[in-house]
Amino acid sequence: MSLLNVKVTAVEQITEQVKQFTFELEDGGKLPYFSGGSHVVVAMDIDGRIHRNAYSLMGPTSDNERYTIAVRKQEQSRGGSVFMHEQVKPGTRLQITPPTNLFAINKLAKKHILVAGGIGITPFMSQISDLNRLGYPYELHYAYRSADQAAFRDQLEKLCGDKVHFYVDDEGRRMNFTELLIQQPLGSHIYVCGPNTMVNSLVLMAKQMGWPDNAVHSEKFLAPATGEPFVVSLSLSETEVMVPGEMSMLEALEEAGIDAPYLCRGGACGRCELEVVDCDGELIHHDVYLSDAEKISANKIMPCVSRANCSRMVVNL
Amino acid sequence: MEKGYSIKSKPIYGTLVWQDHAMHHVVIAEGEGGKALLKLFQQKLPREPLSVLYLAADPQAEKYATTVQKIINEPVTIKDSQAELLNALKATLDSCYMGTQFYVAGTEGFIWKVAAVLRDAGVDDKNVFKELCGSLGRRLYCVHCKTTNENVHHNIHVCTGCGRHLIVREHFSRLMGAYMGFMIDAEVPGEIPAAEEIYP
Ligand code: FES
Repeated sequence: MSLLNVKVTAVEQITEQVKQFTFELEDGGKLPYFSGGSHVVVAMDIDGRIHRNAYSLMGPTSDNERYTIAVRKQEQSRGGSVFMHEQVKPGTRLQITPPTNLFAINKLAKKHILVAGGIGITPFMSQISDLNRLGYPYELHYAYRSADQAAFRDQLEKLCGDKVHFYVDDEGRRMNFTELLIQQPLGSHIYVCGPNTMVNSLVLMAKQMGWPDNAVHSEKFLAPATGEPFVVSLSLSETEVMVPGEMSMLEALEEAGIDAPYLCRGGACGRCELEVVDCDGELIHHDVYLSDAEKISANKIMPCVSRANCSRMVVNL
Repeated sequence: MEKGYSIKSKPIYGTLVWQDHAMHHVVIAEGEGGKALLKLFQQKLPREPLSVLYLAADPQAEKYATTVQKIINEPVTIKDSQAELLNALKATLDSCYMGTQFYVAGTEGFIWKVAAVLRDAGVDDKNVFKELCGSLGRRLYCVHCKTTNENVHHNIHVCTGCGRHLIVREHFSRLMGAYMGFMIDAEVPGEIPAAEEIYP
């Protein structure tokens, strides 16, 4: 994948845990245009190891001079967000992938209902710029834990006016999914981004209330799970790669210099799919791409988030 | 017909089955689709609000209509022209929300006219349950003069618009609800095979 060389031109503290970063091309040219809901993957060199995290682009989609992303510091994570918070300063040089969109609005929808939890607000920032420009009807529901964690609230009030609704957990103002889903006009589409539990329960509720699957869009921030180390053997290139416990299979392959495909790095798009030829243990699927039947049949794996409890796995690569 | 040949744009129709999670069911049928309606109500009478719209334009259809009314014990909207039925459907849509499941049974032409009304209201035809009933006659769109020919039963059809002999292709346009018809003797004028009735 061809990467873009960028430099950080601004870092802004948004809330105690959230920082916003602005990137421009290192040589000052124009960045590729993107559509609302797009993300880029940022490559970080952490002590000689390349770490890659996906972040949504937040800026207005009309701006191709700079990209902005927001990163929430996850203390328990494997270091990507901590690195962004602690090491990345104005002037830092980074590599990013060109934008890809796995969370685009459906332009045929009659109404768009956007639901964000916490840092899950980020993809909606650029979607809103699209929706405002196109004049499409929408409403945004944004839940966060407490008033001091209300990232981008002022900006949203300005951008969305009375279309935005805030829900503050510790003030007891909770989102009621049934209310969001009931009596919405035909042709509505709903988009949800936030913590796993929130996304899962909204998707389930929509199904139970008769919403068709293709009107329900979701994005989760799945961090690759850690686990036991194992060896991946690549049948086509006749190489063996050791996957350490704290690294994903995809990361281990990349580290070994193998150009493995990926897009979302979150188990959602299916791009990284590998065929499992053999495995002397059990596959542990964490993705949301494969169907349950495919997971059981155990001959495919999404190495960006999934791994195995085994000593050796053979894949067709 | 070539073995194994099928084309993605060609719709595949199923059998109507209730969608258990729906909050409201809207069932639209015409003519022989009355039988699909009866089969559907033999599965069960759903608990959720139900709207039934039926186009009954012949004695057999009227019989189905009477039976349906007896079974479901709720008012059924019965019309004797397609235009009126589609208007009644539009009126029904004003009180429909997300979570409404739509079911259509009838000829292919009817199914796609209903789908067009639903599409205008924002309903994706992929989410509409469809059962093909009655005549297999196709709607045929002449790519030369843009006339839509109704109830085409033969594989070669003389276009009512331009008089060309059209071969009925498998390419189907969901937007127009019609198969594409191409002039059969474009290369050798006058060389026209005998037409067969393959869509009775
Ligand atoms: S990269 Fe998208 S599923 Fe793995």
